[in-house]
Amino acid sequence: MSEPPGSDLNPAAAVSLRGISKFFDDVTAVDHVDLEIGDGEFFALLGPSGCGKTTTLRMIGGLEIPSEGSLRIFGDEVGPLPPNKRPVNTVFQNYALFPHMSVADNVAFGLRMRKVDRAETASRVAQAISLVRMAGMENRRPAQLSGGQQQRVALARALVNRPKVLLLDEPLAALDLKLRQEMQFELKQLQREVGITFVFVTHDQEEALALSDRIGVMNEGRLLQVGTPEEMYDAPVDRFVADFIGRSNFLAGTLEDVSTVCLANGTRIRVPAVDAEIAAPGSAIQVSLRPERVMIADESAAPEGAASLSGRVSAVTFLGNSIVYHVGLDWMTVEVETDHRPDLRRHAVGDDVVLWWRDDAIAVVRP
Amino acid sequence: MSDATLEQSRRALGEAERQRERSERRRGFILALPSFAYMVIFFAIPLVIVLVYSFATRTSTGSTALSDWNLDAYRKLGEPIVRNVVVRSVILALITTLVCLVVAYPFAWFCATRSALTRNLLLVAVMIPFWTNFLVRNYAWRILLSAGGPISSFTEAIGLGETNILFTKTAVVIGLVYAYLPFMILPLYASIDRLDRRLVEASSDLYASGPQTFRRVVLPLTMPGVIAGSILVFVPSMGAYVTPELLGGGKETLLGSYIVTQFLTARNWPVGASLSFVLMAVMLVSTIIYFRSGGKNL
Repeated sequence: MSEPPGSDLNPAAAVSLRGISKFFDDVTAVDHVDLEIGDGEFFALLGPSGCGKTTTLRMIGGLEIPSEGSLRIFGDEVGPLPPNKRPVNTVFQNYALFPHMSVADNVAFGLRMRKVDRAETASRVAQAISLVRMAGMENRRPAQLSGGQQQRVALARALVNRPKVLLLDEPLAALDLKLRQEMQFELKQLQREVGITFVFVTHDQEEALALSDRIGVMNEGRLLQVGTPEEMYDAPVDRFVADFIGRSNFLAGTLEDVSTVCLANGTRIRVPAVDAEIAAPGSAIQVSLRPERVMIADESAAPEGAASLSGRVSAVTFLGNSIVYHVGLDWMTVEVETDHRPDLRRHAVGDDVVLWWRDDAIAVVRP
Repeated sequence: MSDATLEQSRRALGEAERQRERSERRRGFILALPSFAYMVIFFAIPLVIVLVYSFATRTSTGSTALSDWNLDAYRKLGEPIVRNVVVRSVILALITTLVCLVVAYPFAWFCATRSALTRNLLLVAVMIPFWTNFLVRNYAWRILLSAGGPISSFTEAIGLGETNILFTKTAVVIGLVYAYLPFMILPLYASIDRLDRRLVEASSDLYASGPQTFRRVVLPLTMPGVIAGSILVFVPSMGAYVTPELLGGGKETLLGSYIVTQFLTARNWPVGASLSFVLMAVMLVSTIIYFRSGGKNL
């Protein structure tokens, strides 16, 4: 999690937000966000629509002014500066290419506004256009381009200015699935090539997992957790995060001490040591259990020593590469996903089974 | 099914489709008939009459003889006196258009960026004077602009002395701007409303200042509204008659009053008709050219 508020600013951070909030009339769009994004990082702000991720991005880009807090880009306070006075550029959702200008004029726009001389403009524009593999299309109008091509032009138009930070607002949302996967790959490649810090906003968890070095999950204006894709998946600290990234079972319980949870049915289980920031001993928590991390076996085959739960299979769903079992316990239903392999025992509806897991398969989350 | 029956059913279906198309065309024509008839009776036929009269002959008594068809009236349009009237009218119409544009653009921008309720109220406010009698509005301006009127009293009160704008070119421009401003505001509003706000943000993100964004992005993209509004203001300003008469005192002859004079005072119908027709043709052609080219760019 983020450091406690008031800790010193990291001067190496590309973008640093301290206590940033944004209010629209009486609506709190962004609520005291603390965040540091490192130089050269590919960072994703992930969350459902209306969670404040786009507003956060717009504040970094200068399209919104924060209501409170401090916003720095490479150490310089930029909170109140307009967009044209910041070393960042944005790739807009739906690209916002200028429809009355050619591809080349679109890409050259930023350089012309900053009065970069003609020869340099021409060479940088050509370079940017070839970087996004749009050479030969310089004289087309945006309307004559496909969605993927417009996307590339929007990238070139931003990158040509050599921003210190590139902001991308749902950059792939307007593309169809196949193109989106291609562009994901290209975007990642491009970021490695130019070495610029990328901050992008998405509601697509798969996209966030696939592209980013680190992810920040937002909900209702608050930044819930920041971490690498693996951390976010394996060790979520908030029920919302565990639910939004991947699928999960949530078992209610009470934290007895730092590494013991008493589940609602009285079963005691061991858990990885719980940070005091997430929950104090004695408080009500939830345990997140990924379906594919739960083991399932006939009742007679229960392992020795490990905590286990017994139940009865209530539904079986065949998904090709995997099988999903719904197992009814007395007090809740647990989803279990196993590989579809001939050597694995296949359970049927009505079978009595036991479920168990490795201690490190679970995460204690804020309810 | 055998080939023969297949062929038969195909033919029957083709016939049914043709019949449906025919009846749809007929229905469209019937629906358009009333407005079509109206345009023919009250626009096309009078226009033809004007055209016919422009080739007629003025007799020595001032009546018009529909014989000896000639181009004398058109030749007369090249004379300096007519040319001066045309130049004066064009300049006045240009000034009116320009003032309308400068006044309307910020207002239309303001309107288009408000909430739905506010913008509707503002647009209704724009239209209200429009529903008031044209003559009444012109006489109202006469009172406002006259030597002892409110504007004059105001300038006197703040120590600028008496103003007497009535019966000047300024008064005519004020009256025309007032009369035709809605024609400028509405198309501008429509094109600004259609402008994607994200393009403005993108421009600002790409280091453009406010004025640069306006010149490079906003103005080019709202140009269709600028041109449409300008045509809608320029055309009636060119032929305006009542306002120049009432507010300009008819001191300087403009196209409208010149044409009226030709018909009523000089009793030279062919010249009045030819001038009317040329004016109309120039406006029609320029409007058509605009909408043709505008249609492609948008």
